[in-house]
Amino acid sequence: MKKIYILSTFLLLLSILLAACGPAATEAPAVVEPTEAPAAEEPTEAPAAEEPVEEPTEAPAAEEPMAGEATEIRWFIGLGAGGNPEEIEREEAFVEKFNAKYGDKYKLVMDVVPNETAYDVLKTQIAAGDVPDIVGPVGIRGLASFEGAWLDLSPYIESADYDLSDFDPALLDFYKFGTDSQLFLPLSVFPSAIFYNKELFDEAGLEYPPHEWGAPYADGDEWTFDKLRDLGMFLTVDANGVDATMEGFDPDNIVQFGYDSQWQDIRADWSHIGAGSFVDENGNAVMPDVWREAAHWYYKGMFTDYFIPNDSYVNSDLLAQGNPFASGKLAMTAVNLWYNCCTEDVTWDVAAMPSYNGNLTSKLHADTFGILRGVEDPDVAWEVYSLMLGEFAGDLVDVYGAFPARQSLQGDALTSLEERFPGVDFQVFVDGLAYPDDPSHEGLMPNFLKASDTYGTFGSMYQSTPDLDLDAEIDTFIVELQEVFDEVE
Amino acid sequence: MTTVDQTSPKPVAIPKKKQYQGLQREQAKWGWIFISPWVIGFLVFTLVPVIATLVFSFTNYNPVQPDNTQFIGVQNFLRMFQDAKVGKSLQVTITYALLAMPISFIFGLLLASLVNSVFLVGQHYFRTLYYMTSMIPVVAAGVIWAGVANTQTGWINLALEAIGIKGPDWLNSVVWIYPLLVMIGLWGLGNLMLTMLAGMQGVPNEIYEASMIDGANGLQRYWHITLPLITPVIFYNLTLMLIGIFKYFDMAYVLKNGTGEPNDATLFYALNFYKNSFEYNLMGYGSALAWGLFIIVLVLTALLFWSQSRWVYYAGEGRG
Repeated sequence: MKKIYILSTFLLLLSILLAACGPAATEAPAVVEPTEAPAAEEPTEAPAAEEPVEEPTEAPAAEEPMAGEATEIRWFIGLGAGGNPEEIEREEAFVEKFNAKYGDKYKLVMDVVPNETAYDVLKTQIAAGDVPDIVGPVGIRGLASFEGAWLDLSPYIESADYDLSDFDPALLDFYKFGTDSQLFLPLSVFPSAIFYNKELFDEAGLEYPPHEWGAPYADGDEWTFDKLRDLGMFLTVDANGVDATMEGFDPDNIVQFGYDSQWQDIRADWSHIGAGSFVDENGNAVMPDVWREAAHWYYKGMFTDYFIPNDSYVNSDLLAQGNPFASGKLAMTAVNLWYNCCTEDVTWDVAAMPSYNGNLTSKLHADTFGILRGVEDPDVAWEVYSLMLGEFAGDLVDVYGAFPARQSLQGDALTSLEERFPGVDFQVFVDGLAYPDDPSHEGLMPNFLKASDTYGTFGSMYQSTPDLDLDAEIDTFIVELQEVFDEVE
Repeated sequence: MTTVDQTSPKPVAIPKKKQYQGLQREQAKWGWIFISPWVIGFLVFTLVPVIATLVFSFTNYNPVQPDNTQFIGVQNFLRMFQDAKVGKSLQVTITYALLAMPISFIFGLLLASLVNSVFLVGQHYFRTLYYMTSMIPVVAAGVIWAGVANTQTGWINLALEAIGIKGPDWLNSVVWIYPLLVMIGLWGLGNLMLTMLAGMQGVPNEIYEASMIDGANGLQRYWHITLPLITPVIFYNLTLMLIGIFKYFDMAYVLKNGTGEPNDATLFYALNFYKNSFEYNLMGYGSALAWGLFIIVLVLTALLFWSQSRWVYYAGEGRG
């Protein structure tokens, strides 16, 4: 009996001790190796949260791989694509292929976390000092959510004399975010174009929009956003079969729409018309003229011309609760290449974006992988990273059905896409790469996460509220955005 | 005169007393062992996080950059008074509370009265039916209600349209979103109904019989007997409801994807706390907001407790 008591008491005390001595969030990760990190990454003062900051130490000897033993590399998946069962299957095949070749040195293991919880899980892992070696794929918002936590790859690129000539220099610069630090290497790019529903065009007796960038529409008119509006209104039909160009059209009972820019926020919507940024060269909040005009164009399309579904229609059963093009009730949508996964029930093809004031824009999305600063062994992480985004880049983009950022791989990727979706003119996307939005609509902003939230709130109000004094609302929004910018130095 | 306490135990021999204390100790020891899972759970999952948030509230702790954590004194607490979103979130929460509390409470009370009525055929069936909705997970309920409230294809507006009324844009109107949330909240009244019902069934029958002999009608009996005698249950439910409303988060999060839309009309205090802590990574400030919420709820609950002497009737009160 006494033994049981002693054992139980010991277990109780041990549990309490473990809880108390668990990884305190304010501790510096114990395994961070001093690297050639820039000054901003140097350890700061000891946090006042009582816990003394531990000096960066060597990783415990027990965790060091034995001679000849492969180093385990944990690949964190979940911030972007990569979490659905089909992708996981392909990721597993990728890992198998990678380990088959480099298994004597590295053992790549996947850590798949559902997207809904991935951000919180990764934050917890960082705070606990249990940092994964490689993170990805991840888009700009994901990168921004961990701003300040990414490892600068520049010293590694330099010391390895890593060949960057296969990348578009503008894309490499984009991943510097206005600094001298190369934080990421590009993996995949997703230009945008117009997806159109061929059946709805046929039904209306309309010619398809042009596939060639800058080419006119079939009737000889320039392919502009005004022309798109005309087609869009003609293709927008109410329950009585009356289209939006006709008298007696009922905007409360629309059963088919002409155009939408689906799954986009307002920065993306407006960038179809012209590139812009909410941040001027001095870091202040600003509404670019072209975006103000774009805002009016979209707003008029939703609440005056009715060929663009407003928020309420977009989320209705009619438009598949937020997936309008897949509902078969939307004639055209401007969206990026990544959308090709969701259109099996619709006969579709792609066309070039229309021009605005003579300018063409194919707003670009980009995905990549990154290494976090707190990683246990940045040198090994870089070695594997450079292989994944180098030698294995083709396999990796195949996993996600993406379009490679490496120019040498783009020809094969195009063939692969054409095989998967016969009859779809993917060359439109390749040609669209010549018209990226510059500045990127996904560019960083001061206080990025809160700023995104602020423009998201404005966007929601704008997409759901008729009869707004739009210019006044935009001005108010820019003032609010400036206040958010001002919260950070 | 010496009095003898007849109830006192007879003097016991010292060794026996020691033995008894030893037994007590043994029992206490095993008691602690048996409750140790709870104690450990409480320490690890409640007490430590509570203390941690208090510590974090005096820092600029960001989980993504934990090595940059610094002690910043009471800056987080001062910031709460300057942050327009905090004011807005309190306004949203109070607006909802003013609307939801009376409606939910009256609805729950009426529901309990209904299923307590001897005239209701199939009492058990209705009790189960009304309780069932409160067992539906919030996320599922949110998705269902988002569809039901859709302006174009939702059942509410289709029903209104059938009688010639153009329904509002429930989900995107800063006015109509609150009635919608209250309506959704009525789904979760099962527990309130059950406790009210239990309270009503605890009212002694003889009081009703006496009042009937005195000529009281049904309404009088309800007003002068039932309600006063269930005031402890009403008080209990009001307290829980108040705390629940200040913690209101899940439905606002599910229905509008945690955006606080339309135009911050669903930016409840708890949602604002969540956004700061987990979306903007301002865990230090978020911790201060959490303590702010604790203080607000503590004060309101204390006020409620203070008020109970004026309106809550405890049948056993005053008995020696």
